[in-house]
Amino acid sequence: MNASASASSGSRAAFRRLLFVGGAVLLLIIFAYGWTVTDIDFSVPQQPQRQENVGNALRELLSPRVFDQDYEILNTTTSFGMSCSDGWSASAPAVDGDQPYIIITPTCAESGEVVTIDGYNFAPDSLARVNWIGSDGERRIRQVIGASEDNFVTENDGTFQVQIDVPRIRGSAGETHTIEVQGRFPIGSPRLSETTLLVLEKMSETIFLALIATAVSILPSAILSFLAAHNLMRPIKIPLGNLLVTFILFPVGAVIGALILGGVGKFAFNLVGAPASTASAGVILLFGTAAATRRLGANALNDHPSIPRTLLNAALGAVAVTAGIGLLGGVSALIGRYTSEGDFGFIGVFLSSVGQLIDLIIVLIAAVVGAFTLSSMGTTLTRDALKEVSLPLSRILGAVLGGVAGIILLGAAATVSLGAAWMGLLPPIIAAALGASVLPSLFQRFFRGGQRQIVLSRTERLLNMALSWIGALTAFVVTFAVLNVGRALVEGSAPPRLVLFNVLGVDLYLYVAEAMLIGAVLGAVTGGIAGTRSSFPAGSVLYTATRTILNALRSIEPLIMGLVFVIWVGIGPFAGVLALALHSIASLGKLYSEQIESIDSGPIEALESTGANRLQTIMYAVVPQIIPPYIAFTMYRWDINVRMSTIIGFVGGGGIGFVLQQQINLLRYRDAGVAVLAIAIVVSILDYASAAIRERYT
Amino acid sequence: MLIIENLTKTYDNGFTALRNINLEIPDGQFVSIIGLSGSGKSTLLRCINRLIDPTDGRILWNGLDITRATDDELRQIRRRIGMIFQQFNLVKRSSVLTNVLSGRLGYMNPVYSLINYFPNSEKERAVAALQRVGIADKANNRASALSGGQQQRVGIARALMQEPEMLLADEPVASLDPATSHSVMKYLQLLNEEDGITVLCSLHFLSLARAYADRVIALKDGRLEFDGLPKDIDNERFKQIYGEDAVEVEIH
Repeated sequence: MNASASASSGSRAAFRRLLFVGGAVLLLIIFAYGWTVTDIDFSVPQQPQRQENVGNALRELLSPRVFDQDYEILNTTTSFGMSCSDGWSASAPAVDGDQPYIIITPTCAESGEVVTIDGYNFAPDSLARVNWIGSDGERRIRQVIGASEDNFVTENDGTFQVQIDVPRIRGSAGETHTIEVQGRFPIGSPRLSETTLLVLEKMSETIFLALIATAVSILPSAILSFLAAHNLMRPIKIPLGNLLVTFILFPVGAVIGALILGGVGKFAFNLVGAPASTASAGVILLFGTAAATRRLGANALNDHPSIPRTLLNAALGAVAVTAGIGLLGGVSALIGRYTSEGDFGFIGVFLSSVGQLIDLIIVLIAAVVGAFTLSSMGTTLTRDALKEVSLPLSRILGAVLGGVAGIILLGAAATVSLGAAWMGLLPPIIAAALGASVLPSLFQRFFRGGQRQIVLSRTERLLNMALSWIGALTAFVVTFAVLNVGRALVEGSAPPRLVLFNVLGVDLYLYVAEAMLIGAVLGAVTGGIAGTRSSFPAGSVLYTATRTILNALRSIEPLIMGLVFVIWVGIGPFAGVLALALHSIASLGKLYSEQIESIDSGPIEALESTGANRLQTIMYAVVPQIIPPYIAFTMYRWDINVRMSTIIGFVGGGGIGFVLQQQINLLRYRDAGVAVLAIAIVVSILDYASAAIRERYT
Repeated sequence: MLIIENLTKTYDNGFTALRNINLEIPDGQFVSIIGLSGSGKSTLLRCINRLIDPTDGRILWNGLDITRATDDELRQIRRRIGMIFQQFNLVKRSSVLTNVLSGRLGYMNPVYSLINYFPNSEKERAVAALQRVGIADKANNRASALSGGQQQRVGIARALMQEPEMLLADEPVASLDPATSHSVMKYLQLLNEEDGITVLCSLHFLSLARAYADRVIALKDGRLEFDGLPKDIDNERFKQIYGEDAVEVEIH
């Protein structure tokens, strides 16, 4: 027995060794292949030409042209006797205070002899050169002895002593020649170079680009983070009937909102401008605010108003919100118009721009407000009725409402997928999601007598999963075939727009109608089996959808987003802001939601137990816990955005990257060095600052 | 009157925490629920205000069926049932006053919660609640700056803001030392006697139950093992509830 045990343990050890060796070989193969794929070749960097090139580039990069200095060249001369006869005397050097002068020793010599030049009052540590001006008037550069260049450097006290050979100049013996020293003298003190000024300007653009991109992403990502936090979303379950009513009323409310509330908003926006209507707008705003405050003050305690009262409140609230936003937009446009001049004109320009934005999106805002208002009104109206319906009626209602909801859902998906070929996958995917629930609930209904199973055995779970997959795949394949998605994918063209008929001025395409039919069938079956009283995990669905969108957005690099935005809004920092903001929303949304998921759940439980509603629980139990990490992560994101914005310019997104790329392309490495230096300084300062702030808040 | 009929709770993972519990608790009683860890004490308390949805059975409170209440009705019911917790469940970064005020949210218009507004009358009520538990001077401190016993008193003040008719206390003293435990239990007793609030309090120590409760309910493996007066728990009963090897320890 011992022998067999040791034999088996021996074989196991051998197997392990084999596994280890196999793993090692596999790693070797992977690395070797990776080596080839990535073109690694050590002979290239050894080539002398390349080494010299990189040496020069690095030398220039590390000598950034930060400062500049203006110079003037002053010529100092003295006369010299070439092979002079007796009686020749040199003119005495003009020794005059602080003017530069030179002395030649000897003042007279033969060609080929060496003479010494002493210079005084030159600029210290500055460049100078010696010219020989022959009797023929021609100027010849004389390299000083021991130098390899034409120029030499003066001493740090402004003097120098150099030696030169007396040149051979035919037929000039006995004549008087002139020795000239050209000295370079700085004018004024050193100043920042043009490059530095440009880099500073672009660097501030970069920092503000990152700041604005971060700032505009905070609110959307904070809202999304609540939807993407599973500890908040998973418990949210809504009776299917209520959900369907909400869902169906949503697009209806959006249309009504856009038409009616949009008009109200536009009216409010345009009210501001002419003096008389501006005054009346001001009065409306004042009284509106006062009335709203008083109403709320009277209702500080929750008195659970009657249903008609609730409906009226919702309608009035919707009108007030839209009109208020419109008025605000009008006011900021008006103020902007009168303040966009002068030194602080940028504030006016900003306000005008905000007004312009509100004018552009007021109808959209109205649609959203209308959608939420109408669906909440619908919920209020139907909640009590839906609670009391009998089981058979709830199934019929479920089928009807589900069918309508399915039509809306797949109709919307099909309309979106008209945009591009691969968007055509959207309807089949949604159909699959709907189809997944059909078979398991049918199975439960007919084989389990409709009893709700609390605990499923392993086999039942597997069976359910298999049935889900079968249903999902069937729905996917059928939708794929009916809508002819395959053709769209292969040809890369959106589905044909065959107009079936025209409803109220809107064309209904055959393709969309087919999708709606599928949606109606799937929705009706699902809704019918489940019934309006079954609870629907709305929170989990919303959570999954938000997370999926955030992850997809996050996987696209800002540089790629930048390319698209440059096409849309042109080259410049605006494109960079949009690209970075979009990426920041996705990334901050995820980081924020992870913070929500890691909070202490005790206070949430405690507040729920006091009868607080979901909004109140979030405001009092969740928000206080997440503010410090939110600040920390926002700083961190700003830090990342500054890094990103230094390169977003490479694709035309503005900021310092644009300068850097230009200078690299022009091989001006000394100027590129200035940009690199600025990036290094700013990024390290921000890195340090954000780390310090994060430390305080975590 | 709280009536619990055939209450059963099976969790999603298949664990059955409560089996067929039947109870009648008249108003104003101080009931202590004892039993081993995992015997279902917390689940029973959380089923009463439906922090946990029961699988089966009914809970009637003053004629209202809690188990069938809609979300809206449930909030109306919950705001009259206070609850305090073993871990206090305060928001540590918020001030004591804010923590106490948050007990009043069920009565407030939710719009106000967006701008963190409470009327002055509510703030006075909160200070009065803190005065009752003897820590009004700590109102502006952060909750995390308080000791365990003080934090639990903040929890009681928060429950008081609800003007509760019933108080559910889930192991309120399990994280506290013996002296502090008695002080917290005394406050619960005070609320029970002065305000006539029904108290359902789960406890680890039988000695505490003997000292404060009118009635003791013992749970074992989700079943009702004992329901009677504290003095009726003799050694034999004790071993039934806590197992053969258990020895009663006193907490003074």
